[in-house]
Amino acid sequence: MDKITDTEHLIACNECDLLLERPVILDSQKAKCPRCGSTLISARHNSIERTLALSIAGMILIFPANLFPLLTLELMGRTQSQTIFSSAMGFYYDGLWPLAVLVFMFTILVPACKLLLLFWVSFSLQFSIRLPARRFALRSYQHLDEWGMLEVYLVGVLVSVIKLVSMATLVPGIGIFCLGALILVTTMSSSMLDTDLFWHKIAEADHD
Amino acid sequence: MINTGQSAASQGLLSCHDCHALWKQSEQHTHCQRCGSALHLRKPNAMPLTWALLLTSTFLLVPANMLPIMMITSLGRGEPATILGGVIELINLGMYGIAFVVLAASILIPVGKIIGLLIMLVTLQFGLTTNMQQKMMMFRMVHWIGRWSMLDIFVVAVLVALVQMGNLAQISGQLGATAFAGVVIFTMLAANAFDTRLIWDKHSGTDSE
Ligand SMILES: [Zn+2]
Ligand SMILES: [Zn+2]
Repeated sequence: MDKITDTEHLIACNECDLLLERPVILDSQKAKCPRCGSTLISARHNSIERTLALSIAGMILIFPANLFPLLTLELMGRTQSQTIFSSAMGFYYDGLWPLAVLVFMFTILVPACKLLLLFWVSFSLQFSIRLPARRFALRSYQHLDEWGMLEVYLVGVLVSVIKLVSMATLVPGIGIFCLGALILVTTMSSSMLDTDLFWHKIAEADHD
Repeated sequence: MINTGQSAASQGLLSCHDCHALWKQSEQHTHCQRCGSALHLRKPNAMPLTWALLLTSTFLLVPANMLPIMMITSLGRGEPATILGGVIELINLGMYGIAFVVLAASILIPVGKIIGLLIMLVTLQFGLTTNMQQKMMMFRMVHWIGRWSMLDIFVVAVLVALVQMGNLAQISGQLGATAFAGVVIFTMLAANAFDTRLIWDKHSGTDSE
């Protein structure tokens, strides 16, 4: 009898638990918690469509970014090239396999999984196809987000260049430009993702 | 009757940690009906878990800075390099900007992050709920910036992969790098384990269960 208990029009702040009337916001606006300042919801224009497009672009770019060398070092007529994978393997050969696993995870596995999961969810919502495990996929994406560290890795490559440039010749490879593009696309995809909208769409579809 | 402007917990509501759906506590779901995640009013064992992870990373800070992170061998002579040594080397080369970036990522951020989390833990422990807006801002900053500490590990990874010139020049990774990665990961996990809502529970005077 009491419709007051319906919680659809309410929202609780994720960081301080303040209960609020769900703010109505326009595309590309953000609503912040008045008490602690955290972002409550952040609406994105065409969030599903754009996330889908960006995740596809990312899944394509991830191949050249990994397959082509990022840098080639030339020293006294000898050359050595490096890819993302070989920088993880370097630690493995030095006997530091836990570190090799971590570098592999943060620079290859997690970024790839993030793109795949995002593609899975946005594809399913865009075309209203009930793909299995999409709730799990979106949840996993949210938890994996901060463990993808491609941009930190790219800065690491640049710092290495600065360290080596005085003693050897360094030639940038195609890989580094693909990596730059991949970082741009993944960063845009995570900022285009409106999780609140995604969860609402999933709930709506599950109700039908 | 549900009142806004109070904590959701005090109004008999519970919000899902993953999808932020609101549920009535009386319904006693163990899992969120919308996203499938386990439901908790507050993150379980937030305080002991954050303490444990924070202490682990603090201990690891010692070997991370004392042990060499890499060994630079050129023409048969091996020279171990520590994190601080790398920063000093960049300063000697006159590259102050890059030296500062590496110093910030490798030393200032991890130490600052540990101090920031300590402040949050002490705030919670003693219910010091003054300047909460600033503290929340600091916590968000600490959370966001933490992963950038991996920078030095990636620098070593790239150097190790590139400088493989036999007896001419060779760089190999050393145990200090593993310890340092440990610092970064454990502080990230500590920040994730913490639940800022626990502090706000004390702030508003509504006790959590
Ligand atoms: Zn809040
Ligand atoms: Zn949920």
